[in-house]
Amino acid sequence: MNFAKAAFVGAIALGFTATAALAEYPERPINMVIPYGAGGATDISARTIAEPLGAAVGKPLVMSNITGAGGATGSVAAQNAKPDGYTMLFARVGSHSVNPAMKATLPYTLDDFRFVTVYEINPVACAVTPASGIKSMDDLIAKVNEGGVAYSSSGVGSLLHLAAAMVLKEFGVEKPLEAATHIPQKGGGAAATAVLNGTATFLCTNSSALASFVSNGQLVPLMVTTPKPVAGFDAPTAADLGKPALEKLVGWTGIAGPKGLPDDVAEKWGKWMASATADEGFRSKMEARGSVIELMNPKDANDFIRGQYTIFRALVDELGMRIEG
Amino acid sequence: MEDRSIQIQLGIGAIAASVFLISVAIPFWVSSPSNVPNIILSPLFWPNVLSALTGLIGAGLILTSVVRPRPEQAAKSDVDDRPAAFRRLAIMAVIMTATVLVMPRLGLVWTAMVTFVATAFLVKTKHPRSALVCAVLIPLVLYVFFAHIAGVAIPQGDFVRLP
Amino acid sequence: MSFIDSLFAGLQLVGNVEAFLALGIGVVIGVIGGAIPGMSATMAVALTLPFTFSMSPITGILLLLGVYKGGIFGGSIPAILIKTPGTPASSATVLDGYPMAENGQAGKALGMALWASCTADLISNLALIFFAGFLASFALSFGPPEFFTLILFSLTIIAGVSGDSLLRGGLSAMLGLLLATIGLDLVYGTNRFTFGNPNMMGGLNFIAVLIGLFAIPEILSMVWNPSSHDGVARSLGKNKVTFKEYQRSFKSIVRGSFIGVFLGSIPGIGAAPSAFLSYSEARRKSPNRENFGKGEIEGVAASEAGNNGVAGATLIPLLALGVPGDVITAIIMGAFMIHGLQPGPMMFILNVDVIYGLFIGLIVSSVFLFFVGSVAIRGFKYVADIPRGVLFPAVLVLCVYGVFAVNNNIFDVGVMFAMGAVGFVMMRYKVPAAPFLIAFILGPLLEDNFRQSMLMSGSSGWVLFRGPITWFFWTLTAITVFAIVRAGIRATRQTSVPTP
Repeated sequence: MNFAKAAFVGAIALGFTATAALAEYPERPINMVIPYGAGGATDISARTIAEPLGAAVGKPLVMSNITGAGGATGSVAAQNAKPDGYTMLFARVGSHSVNPAMKATLPYTLDDFRFVTVYEINPVACAVTPASGIKSMDDLIAKVNEGGVAYSSSGVGSLLHLAAAMVLKEFGVEKPLEAATHIPQKGGGAAATAVLNGTATFLCTNSSALASFVSNGQLVPLMVTTPKPVAGFDAPTAADLGKPALEKLVGWTGIAGPKGLPDDVAEKWGKWMASATADEGFRSKMEARGSVIELMNPKDANDFIRGQYTIFRALVDELGMRIEG
Repeated sequence: MEDRSIQIQLGIGAIAASVFLISVAIPFWVSSPSNVPNIILSPLFWPNVLSALTGLIGAGLILTSVVRPRPEQAAKSDVDDRPAAFRRLAIMAVIMTATVLVMPRLGLVWTAMVTFVATAFLVKTKHPRSALVCAVLIPLVLYVFFAHIAGVAIPQGDFVRLP
Repeated sequence: MSFIDSLFAGLQLVGNVEAFLALGIGVVIGVIGGAIPGMSATMAVALTLPFTFSMSPITGILLLLGVYKGGIFGGSIPAILIKTPGTPASSATVLDGYPMAENGQAGKALGMALWASCTADLISNLALIFFAGFLASFALSFGPPEFFTLILFSLTIIAGVSGDSLLRGGLSAMLGLLLATIGLDLVYGTNRFTFGNPNMMGGLNFIAVLIGLFAIPEILSMVWNPSSHDGVARSLGKNKVTFKEYQRSFKSIVRGSFIGVFLGSIPGIGAAPSAFLSYSEARRKSPNRENFGKGEIEGVAASEAGNNGVAGATLIPLLALGVPGDVITAIIMGAFMIHGLQPGPMMFILNVDVIYGLFIGLIVSSVFLFFVGSVAIRGFKYVADIPRGVLFPAVLVLCVYGVFAVNNNIFDVGVMFAMGAVGFVMMRYKVPAAPFLIAFILGPLLEDNFRQSMLMSGSSGWVLFRGPITWFFWTLTAITVFAIVRAGIRATRQTSVPTP
C-alpha cells in the first residue's frame, strides 16, 4: 500500500510542477505537424530544419507526422488547433496550393491558415526513361500528339498531377487531359517506379525525388522549371525553352499556424527562421538534395502561396480538373 | 450458439448489408464524377462488386446450412448470467467511448489511468492493489517513453500538464 | 574489381568496432521497439534516423538495418504473449503463437519464432547477396497487370486461414475489402464513405484496424466472462524449443524464407502478406493441418520465416534500382541520400565497398539477432504470468498509447475501439479475423492495380493477360482455387449428416 501511495503522490507532484505561471511564448515544447509520412520529402526537410530551428526557438520542437489524404488529415489537425503558436504545420505545395486549387470538398481553404514563412523552393523536373527514345520536350510533345502517352503521379491532386498537365498545356497541347493518360500511383516513389517499369511515359516532379535516378542513368531529365539550371540535371530550363510561365511551377515548404495566430508569434517565427536558415549545416544539407533555400517573411510567404494558388486554380478551371465529389 | 443458427444469422446479415450498401450507402456516400469514360473505372464499380459478392456469400451461408446441415454441436452457454454479461459489455462500451471523447480535454495520461482502473474493476480483478499501482505507473512510464524518448506529442489536455 | 577484392574493400569498411556496435545497438532498439505494440518497426527506424546523420554512412545504415531486422522479430513477442502484433508483419504469428501461449507454451513459441526468424533472415540476406541483380530486373517487369494477378493469387491465402468454414472466411474477407474502400478514390480523388470527416479521407489506419481486430476482442471477452480463465493458470513457460521441433518445421521455414525473398524483392507488397502466404502454404502441406490455429508450432515457424524472409530482400529493389519496397526501406533510402549515396545500379560500380560492407554487416546481423532475441525472450516471457485482471487493462492502455503514436491522431484510437467491437461480434459468430486483415491489406492493391491496368490499356481487359508473368499467376490461381473447391466439397461430404 505504501508503494501505491508513493506512486500517487509522485504522480500528482509531477503534474503540478508543470503548471507554472504564464510566461513569454514559447514556454513549453512546440508541436510541429508534418502532414506527410516519415522518409518523404516534407519529412526530411522538416527534420533538417528542426535542428537549427530548435536551437533558435530555445524550446524543443516535437515532430508529429499526421499522414493521410495527400496532406489533408494533418493540415486539418493544425487548422483545428488553438491558435496559440504551440501547434504549427509544415505546409507543402501539395497540401496548400495544389489541393485547395483542385479539390472542392477539401475541409480547409488558404484562409484557415496563417503562413509565417516559406523557406525552401524545389525545382520541378520532367523525366523519361532512356529506353523511351525521347530526348527533348519537343520529342515528348510529338509523342503526346501521336497518342498513347501516359504520365504518373503520386495521386490525384498532387503536385505531380498538376505539373504534368500544366507542362503539356504550356507546350501547346490543346487538351492535355485527353491527349495523355494520367495513371495515379500511391506516393512519389511508386510514381517514379511506374516510369521506370514502363507503366507511364513521363513524370514531372521535384528534382530531389529524381536526382538519384538521373545520376544512375535510369531516367533522362527533359526540363527543369527554375530560372537557373539544376546541378546534376543536364536539361534546359523552362526559360531556355521559351516557357517562362512554368517558373511558377515549383515545390516549396513553409510553416503555417492556425488562422488566429497572434502577430507577435508570427513575428517571432520570422526571426527564428532567419537565424535557422543562416545555419551552414542546414544550407549544405538542403542544397545537396537539390533544394534552393529562399527565406520569405510572413507577408511574402502569403503572397507567394496565394499567387501560386491563383495560377493553379485558373489552370484547373480551364482544363476542368476540379474534383467536386 | 449452435452452428446452424450462426450460419443462418450471418447469411441474413450479409444479405441485408449487401442490399443496404447497394441501394442506400453507395449511392449516397460514394461520389463519382459525371464524366467517367468507362463504368469499370468509376469509383462506384468496386464497392458495388464487393457488395454483390457479400450478398452471394450470405446466400451461400443460408443455403449450406439448409441443404447440408453440419452435425449439431451441443449448444453450451459460456456465461451463467447473460444479462450481467451484456451489462458489463455496455459499461465497457461507455468506458471506450468516454476514453476517446475525454482524451483531448483531460490529456492521454490521466485518461489512461481512469480507463485502467475502470476496466480492472469491471473485470473484477483479483489483485486490486497491484491494479491500482499499475494504473498509475504504467500510463506514466508509457508517457515518459513516448514523449521523451520517442518524441511523440502525447495529448496533454487543458488541466494538468506533465513536463 | 573481382568478387574477392570487393569483399575485402567491404571488410575494410565495416571491420571496426563502431560498425558492429551500431549494428548490435540497432538490433536491441529494434527488438524493443517492435515489442511495443504501435511502436512498430517503421517508427523505430524513423526515430533512429536522425541519430545516423552524424555517423559515417556505413555505420549509420547498419544501425538502421539492425533496427529494421530487430523490429520485425520483436513484433512477434507481443503477438504471442498478448495477441497484439507489435508490427503488422507479425499478425500471422498471432494465429498459432497466442494459442500456444494460452496452452502454457509461450517460451516454446517465442523460441521457435526466434529460430525461424534468424534462419529466414540468413536465407534472405544470402539471396540479396547472390541474386540482387537478377531479382531486381525481375521486379521491374512487374507493372500493374502483373501486380493484379499476383495479388489475386495472394487472396487465395484466405482459404488457408479461414478455419473450418470457407464461407465464413469469405464473409470476413468481404468485410475487410469493403472497409478498405473508405477514403479518397485513387483515380478521381472523390470521397468514398468518408462522411465529410477529414480523418477518414486517408482511409482507416492499418495499425488501428489490426490492433482493434486482434487485441481488443480479447479484452471484451474478458469483460464478457471475467471468470472464464480461473483455474487455467498460464504456466511460466519455462519450456524451450527443441532441435527436433526445429527440424520438423525446417521445410516450412525454408519455404517461408523463399516466399519472403520473392515477395520482398517486388516493391510494394511488404512483410504481412508474405507471412500469411507462408503460413497458409505450411498449413496446406503439413500432416498436422488440423492443429493449425490451435497452437501448432510449425505455424509460428512459417509465419516468422515469411516475414523475416522479406527483411533482406526488400533491400534488393532499394540497392539495385533505387526503388524503396516499403515505408521502412524508404526511410533507409533517406539515410543513403543524406550521406550522398544514391542507391541504384551505379552504386554497384561507384560504391562497391559500401555495398559489400552492407552485405557483411547483414550476415552478422542475423547472428546478433539470435543473441539479442534470446535475451529478450527470457525477459519478456514472464508477461505470460501476469494475472489477467492486471494484464488486460494494461494491454488496453498500451494499445491506446501505441495506436495514438502511429499517426498522432486520437481518431485512430476510436477506430481501434470500433474495430474491437466488430472483432468481438465476429468472434462470437465464429467468423475468423485473419481473412479480414489479409483482405484489408490486399484489397486496395487489387483495386488500384486493376484500375491502373485499365487506364494503361484504355479499358481493354487483355492487358491483364500480357506476358508470361500474368499467365503464370493466372494458372497458379486457377490451380489453387480448384484445389480449394475440391477440398471444400470433400470436407462437406464427410462432415454432413444425411437429412432425415
